[in-house]
Amino acid sequence: MSEALAPHQSEVTALGVDNRKLGIWALLGSEAVFFSSLIVTYLVMRGRSVTGPTPREALNVPLTAVNTFVLICSSLTMVTALAAIQRGDTRGLRRWLIATALLGVAFLSGQATEFTLLASQGLSLSRNLFGATFFTLTGFHGAHVLAGVIWIGFVLARAFRGGVTQENHMAVELVGLYWHFVDLVWIIIFTVVYLI
Amino acid sequence: METSRRMQRTYLGVFVALAVLTVFEIAVTYLPVPRIPVLVPLALIKAGLVALFYMHLKYDRRVFGLIFGAGLLMGIGLILSLIALFAPTLVDVK
Repeated sequence: MSEALAPHQSEVTALGVDNRKLGIWALLGSEAVFFSSLIVTYLVMRGRSVTGPTPREALNVPLTAVNTFVLICSSLTMVTALAAIQRGDTRGLRRWLIATALLGVAFLSGQATEFTLLASQGLSLSRNLFGATFFTLTGFHGAHVLAGVIWIGFVLARAFRGGVTQENHMAVELVGLYWHFVDLVWIIIFTVVYLI
Repeated sequence: METSRRMQRTYLGVFVALAVLTVFEIAVTYLPVPRIPVLVPLALIKAGLVALFYMHLKYDRRVFGLIFGAGLLMGIGLILSLIALFAPTLVDVK
């Protein structure tokens, strides 16, 4: 296809794709570099802590596994929301966006619980290298989830005002891309930090 | 509508795959097998499923994959470079 206007595109662009979507993908590319730097810092600093607690002593894999499942579910609800508005189902869009936001909040609650448990074991940003790299990595990820939940809230508000339609639903695509990326990063973090 | 139902089945299939792979990953940690050669590829498969199907890279214009892929390549390069730099001093933990 070489048409200059992509679906829902309001203006002609050089690459024939929506500028907003191109911008989001560029953002996600830069976020990939950002999280790569945090992940590799965690990896190379692993085992170098002079004092405890260590990952084996501190980390709660079952709790985090449930949290991981919650985030995976939220990706399904997010893509279902997009599929709903693509076929013109505005009620379905709102329902699945609410579900996604609630699952996001559930994930953040799980993170808060985990952070509290870790703090009770004496782990903190300044405790040791494990604490510093762990909280920096998972803290930044949590902040991204929070930003995503807020963003979904804005899209939801627009959907309730009738501002998201089958013909114009780029807002849902954009927040969806961001949300799936946040899930993708957590998939890597869960494996690298908790399982390996 | 038929395309929509087919896509919904795909999304559900990906979800089931992600869930099953996650359970499998956790199970691997209880087995006497080397973790990195098993878990890293599994994580990459899961990430690939999310990127290709949920983020629609498989169905969308190639330029999006190129843009994202450029960032991914830089990130992977960064990871490999620093691991190589610190390789002599990396500690086997747990």
